[in-house]
Amino acid sequence: MSQKKYWKGLEELANTPEYQQSVANEFNEELPVEMPGDNLLNAQTPRRDFLKFLGFSTLAATVAASCEMPVRKAIPYAIKPENITPGVPNYYASTFVDNGECVPAVVKTVEGRPIMIEGNTLSKITEGGTSARMIAATLSLYDKTRLRQPHVDGKPVDTFEEIDSQVSAALAAANGAIYLLTGTLISPTTDNVIAQFLAKYPGAKHVTFDPVSYSGMLLANEMSYGKRMLPNYQFDKARTVLSIGADFLGTWISPVEYSKGYTKSRKVSSKDIATVSNMNKHYQIEGMLSMTGANADERATCRPSEYGKVAAALYEQVASGTQPNTGSKNLDKLIVKAAADLKKGNGLVVCGSNDVNTQIIVNAINAAIGANGTTIDFSTPAKNKKGIDADMVALVNAMNAGQVGALIMHGVNPAYEYFDSAKFVEGLKKVKTTISFADRLDETAKLVKYVVSDHHWLESWGDTEAKDGYISFIQPTIAPLFKTRAFQDSLLKWAGATETYHDQFNAYWVGKLGQATFDKALQDGIIEPATPSIVGASFAGNVQDAIAKAKAVKSAAEYEVIVFETASLGTGGAWSNNPWLQELPDPISKVAWDNYVMMSPKTAKEKFDAEITTVNQVDPKKRVLKVTVGNKSVELPVIVVPGMHHNVVAIAIGYGRDKSVGMAAADLGKNAYPLLSFNGQTFSNYADAKIEKTATFYPVAVTQTHNSAENRPIFYEYSKDEFVKNPYELIDERKAALAHYVNDPAHDPKDHHGDPFGKGKDFDARGFEKAFEKFGTHYPVHEKPGLHWAMSIDLNSCTGCGACVIACHAENNVSVVGKERVIKVQEMSWLKIDRYFAGDPNDPDTIQTVFQPMLCMHCDNAPCENVCPVSATNHSSEGINQMAYNRCIGTKYCANNCPYKVRRFNWLDWNDADCFEDNLYSDGRRDDINDDLTRMVLNPDVTVRSRGVMEKCSFCVQRLQDGKLKAKKEGTPLKDHHVTTACQSACGGGCITFGNLNDPESAIYQDRYVNNKERLFYMLEQIHVLPNVSYLSKIRNTEVLMTGSDKDEIYNQHL
Amino acid sequence: MHLKYESFIREPLVDGEKSYSDVTADICRPIEQKPTKLWYFGFFVALAFLGFGAFSVFWEVYWGLGTWGINHTMGWGWDITNFVWWVGIGHAGTLISAILLLFRQHWRTGVNRAAEAMTIFAVMCAGQFPIFHMGRVWDAMYVLPLPNTRGPLWPNFNSALLWDVFAISTYFTVSLLFWYSGLIPDFATIRDRAKTKLRKRLYGLASFGWTGTAKNWQRFESLSLVLAGLSTPLVLSVHTIVSFDFATSVIPGWHATIFPPYFVAGAIFSGFAMVNTLLILVRKLYRLEEYITMGHIEAMNKVIVLTGSIVGIAYLTELFMAWYSQVIYEQEAFKWRVMGPYWWSYWAMMTCNVVSPQFFWFKKLRRNIVFSFILSIVVNIGMWFERFVIIATTLYRDYIPSNWTYYSPTWPELGFYLGTFGLFFTCFFLFSKYFPVIAIAEIKFVLKTTGDKAHKDNLALEEKSLEEFIEIANHAH
Repeated sequence: MSQKKYWKGLEELANTPEYQQSVANEFNEELPVEMPGDNLLNAQTPRRDFLKFLGFSTLAATVAASCEMPVRKAIPYAIKPENITPGVPNYYASTFVDNGECVPAVVKTVEGRPIMIEGNTLSKITEGGTSARMIAATLSLYDKTRLRQPHVDGKPVDTFEEIDSQVSAALAAANGAIYLLTGTLISPTTDNVIAQFLAKYPGAKHVTFDPVSYSGMLLANEMSYGKRMLPNYQFDKARTVLSIGADFLGTWISPVEYSKGYTKSRKVSSKDIATVSNMNKHYQIEGMLSMTGANADERATCRPSEYGKVAAALYEQVASGTQPNTGSKNLDKLIVKAAADLKKGNGLVVCGSNDVNTQIIVNAINAAIGANGTTIDFSTPAKNKKGIDADMVALVNAMNAGQVGALIMHGVNPAYEYFDSAKFVEGLKKVKTTISFADRLDETAKLVKYVVSDHHWLESWGDTEAKDGYISFIQPTIAPLFKTRAFQDSLLKWAGATETYHDQFNAYWVGKLGQATFDKALQDGIIEPATPSIVGASFAGNVQDAIAKAKAVKSAAEYEVIVFETASLGTGGAWSNNPWLQELPDPISKVAWDNYVMMSPKTAKEKFDAEITTVNQVDPKKRVLKVTVGNKSVELPVIVVPGMHHNVVAIAIGYGRDKSVGMAAADLGKNAYPLLSFNGQTFSNYADAKIEKTATFYPVAVTQTHNSAENRPIFYEYSKDEFVKNPYELIDERKAALAHYVNDPAHDPKDHHGDPFGKGKDFDARGFEKAFEKFGTHYPVHEKPGLHWAMSIDLNSCTGCGACVIACHAENNVSVVGKERVIKVQEMSWLKIDRYFAGDPNDPDTIQTVFQPMLCMHCDNAPCENVCPVSATNHSSEGINQMAYNRCIGTKYCANNCPYKVRRFNWLDWNDADCFEDNLYSDGRRDDINDDLTRMVLNPDVTVRSRGVMEKCSFCVQRLQDGKLKAKKEGTPLKDHHVTTACQSACGGGCITFGNLNDPESAIYQDRYVNNKERLFYMLEQIHVLPNVSYLSKIRNTEVLMTGSDKDEIYNQHL
Repeated sequence: MHLKYESFIREPLVDGEKSYSDVTADICRPIEQKPTKLWYFGFFVALAFLGFGAFSVFWEVYWGLGTWGINHTMGWGWDITNFVWWVGIGHAGTLISAILLLFRQHWRTGVNRAAEAMTIFAVMCAGQFPIFHMGRVWDAMYVLPLPNTRGPLWPNFNSALLWDVFAISTYFTVSLLFWYSGLIPDFATIRDRAKTKLRKRLYGLASFGWTGTAKNWQRFESLSLVLAGLSTPLVLSVHTIVSFDFATSVIPGWHATIFPPYFVAGAIFSGFAMVNTLLILVRKLYRLEEYITMGHIEAMNKVIVLTGSIVGIAYLTELFMAWYSQVIYEQEAFKWRVMGPYWWSYWAMMTCNVVSPQFFWFKKLRRNIVFSFILSIVVNIGMWFERFVIIATTLYRDYIPSNWTYYSPTWPELGFYLGTFGLFFTCFFLFSKYFPVIAIAEIKFVLKTTGDKAHKDNLALEEKSLEEFIEIANHAH
């Protein structure tokens, strides 16, 4: 046997001391393990922990090795990038921008993929608030319809240089007749870029177009205060808010900011009854039932054409005490009452009308009630909307007149969003050079010559200045997925600049702030003034003239149609192709995947042979109505909504999109923009309409078919006065309901003198629950030491916006099922928001709405757990009702036995995750989620469930594990800041409290048992399932409650 | 006035003057002849149904439960309705074989074989539903307490669904044994009459070498008694446990202590109706009117009117309890059951199950073949609706109004149900062709005492004078 020695390299041959040292060292490179510092190793029982880890990892390896796993493409990091540790997320501060709306955000990325967007809590404007659209942006980033390279004449081209040379030549040839058409831009550095571009091409103009226009306000403010701007509304300062048709919680200007402010005084503490007394009061006057109107304390309806008249009546009542005479008694009463409240100080009136005169009157009211300087600030005006409608109309006219040589469009889609899109398209044909920065071949981009697609905001650098001095930066969270280019770079290139936008951006901010401050600002995401100022302004408009003009507005038509923006799809854009948003049920109608005609029950029944879902009617097919405005008409199904004015119908925009926008958007509903018109000054947002019945029916995906809570004690609602007078009503009710089950039966009942749990404010809420837990059952009760997760939901600050629902989808890889399956009641959302109406459907002014988020209650005595034949759902020692997906065989017994019906079953193979081939459910709309690109949105910490298993809310168990680990690494007991659930962090109103119930300092403990025990209730408490999710009762700032009253016809008729 | 050898109100259990060999010949005839055209037609129709059912189930397993109409509010629909319905039907056989045996009800001998066969086939059909209603049927073995590599992982013994697994499988096993042990002497009879080798060998195997010795008979009798004793509690326990699927839940409309007796009564009710349906057909098709007499039909009808009235009382008790409980969820669950969108199913159930059997108070109707046949079908429709009412109209409107919804079945659900009919009748046709549909041995036990011939002999005897009568009676055996 030869003793040949093979050396592995020259190092071994040489056998240097360095080599010997490196051989002695087992791990040449530093291990990518975050060492927990001294805390873990010096903890009390490191040996046991070691054994636990050893045991766990051996077991995990065994389990992992014994499963058959399909082979998926996976590319390991050959060289680990700096800052990326597989499995450990990175967070980047950025900013969500959409049509001028801007919300500071924190983006979670894993392995370089942005997967979750949360609010930036450092911002004083939004304080971490979010919206459904903002969170859903990750899905839009991975939209496979996005253009993957620039296009010329609808055909892909490979390089930007090719386009640049052609475009530069074309622009030079345009002879200055160049128009840059954008949506509202609020970036200071982009403004600089545009200035450079316009300087290069003298005569070029920049036109701003907002599809949902705020021109009326901009012009009215110019006439009232000498400056074309939107003031800075301070909803948190307002004691009385009156809105005339403004959906300020859902869509109006900056809804995330306004919701945050508005809900502040609604987050009351019943311990400190003054907070209840000081709750703001919200009046709403509107034609349709908006989400904001549904939150109002008092509400009355009128036609949208009467908004001016109503504003005038209010002004006259405020200014001179003239009795209003609007023709509606309810409205008159509301105006008088509201005027009195507004005059008490800290009032605020907002209006959703786009009519200049109406807005002037509203300004006059705000001036008269002293809102300027208290609830309205003029020192830092809002820049969220800048579009002047007349400019856009002028541009379209110029295009048709052949006066436009080149049109460059960014962030707008006039072929869809412009009311007279036919004329725009006609004009576009006469423009020689047309350029678009659209991210897809949408209705407009299809028609232009050059499409130079822009980055998604999650791929971009940028900055926003929504208000003077309030800067929020946009940082890229992923390298551009496709061959796209920042549109600023394109403009710079065409302007002949050699710098890139990023150079300019850096230079601008470093120059302004210095490198260190800029770095810090990028990390924080924001720069804001230390002390916000509130400065008033004196009203200088001609209110009498405005009133005269407003009063002259008359509508002869029987019906008026309001064309409105939904909180989910907004003005359309790329959102229409976002399956999460499409499947998010509208807060009011609870309809997903379509637009429709919203109509009052009385009108629908008497005139159009259509009804609100009646006792025995369960058919998803709804009658189709033909709504005609002038010579344009749309045919849409009718959805009957109580609270609509009898002569008003409403249709949402964002639907009726072209196939090229994407699979999810194509051919759903109808486009409602064409129903609008230009009145010479501004675009209208309503129109006189003729409505006809058709003989056809159309299936609509309604997720909630019953509107009344049937007077069942599943939520509690009190009027403010009632509550202030006796805050203990709910406590007494709970005590009476459970009286027999909270006392030890072993005791002689005669031993009990008085009340063992205390009366009124001495009520021992925790003790009461503990006693019920123990004596409400024959079975022994287990101690629950350590962590015990629990959630509390404040019904008083929930606005029903749905941000939590989308956050849950994003965090937990919840499947989208498509319209057909929503109709079959097979949707998968773990969290839904129930909406109940009370009042008289024939009198829209009486309708009161309650929103109630519903999710798994994580019952400590869970009925689902004991019925599962295979123990696939069981209880964790931390109070979580958990699902072992691998064990589930799908008998659905648990779902049947769930009193809350919050369990969701994987009816079909939504995610290509079962063992059958080619049985993926496809409906042509939702399938994108199975595309390799779209799957990048999935959260790797959460299992993608296969067909045939049950799933439901997990309390974001992956976040809890992460939080526990964080606390452990810090060596501290777990505290509130270590864990937030996805819904909790998404909720702008902060109505979700979550934490460890066994920690008396935790917010959840304080909320339940100290600060709000008077409002605390559990859904279906009496059946002793011991839910870990509790609610806080709603307090409506009004005298008359409909729920529980005889006038609640929706209950009386069981609608 | 003469002495009576037997009560004149007791009618003969076997009509016609049958000798032992007549009995054997009559009952073996269908087995030994070529099947009729009607048999072939029926068999192939049943096979077609079975095939369609298999396709429906394949479709469901391949694509998923989304192909059914059930949804996240109503997790069960036709699947569990059909399961409970078939299990219910499977009750009559054991009741007839076991309980009536223990009570020495001789009339059972004419019908017990077919009834037991029906039980077994019905339980086979029933078993399909809980299996294929699973989302992941390929993991169905998780419900069995099998040793496994997943550590000490057991099924959940708290779950009523698991109790079902044990209850149904026990019931099936015991019923099968009982049925088969009864078949052994008859198989031997067929073996002895067989003219072909194959037949001789097969029936020989099936009869376990039965020779008909006294020891054979004694053991046979003992085994029958033991099995009867074993299966008697099963008759009560199976449907009691099935009712626990609902009774142990927290859902108003399910959570009721009345469920076990109510379910057992309902099961016997539907089982007897199904036995009636089948026997009326069998006696006609195989010309066995002399063995399955009008008296048998009437006896069954009597049980139907009794159990029908029991379920009627149970329905009313449910309503009373809902009102008396003063729990709004309970009250409204029943309100929506009676008057909600599914009102028609409740009233179909009430009409078919409570009103229609009351006609059987009239002897004329009890002994009317056509009426009995129609009513037996009406009762089974009613009992299907009862299960549908319990499942669908409980789930569709429970605690939280936002969850309220509606449900209609889709074609794979319908196909699955039709498929179990196919399975049932395929089995039944094969049974009626290859097995003696009436227990030859047992009917011979009663022939001498309660047959028409014995009856007539007795009449002659009764004509005699007292002395002669005593003389003959004393020397008769």
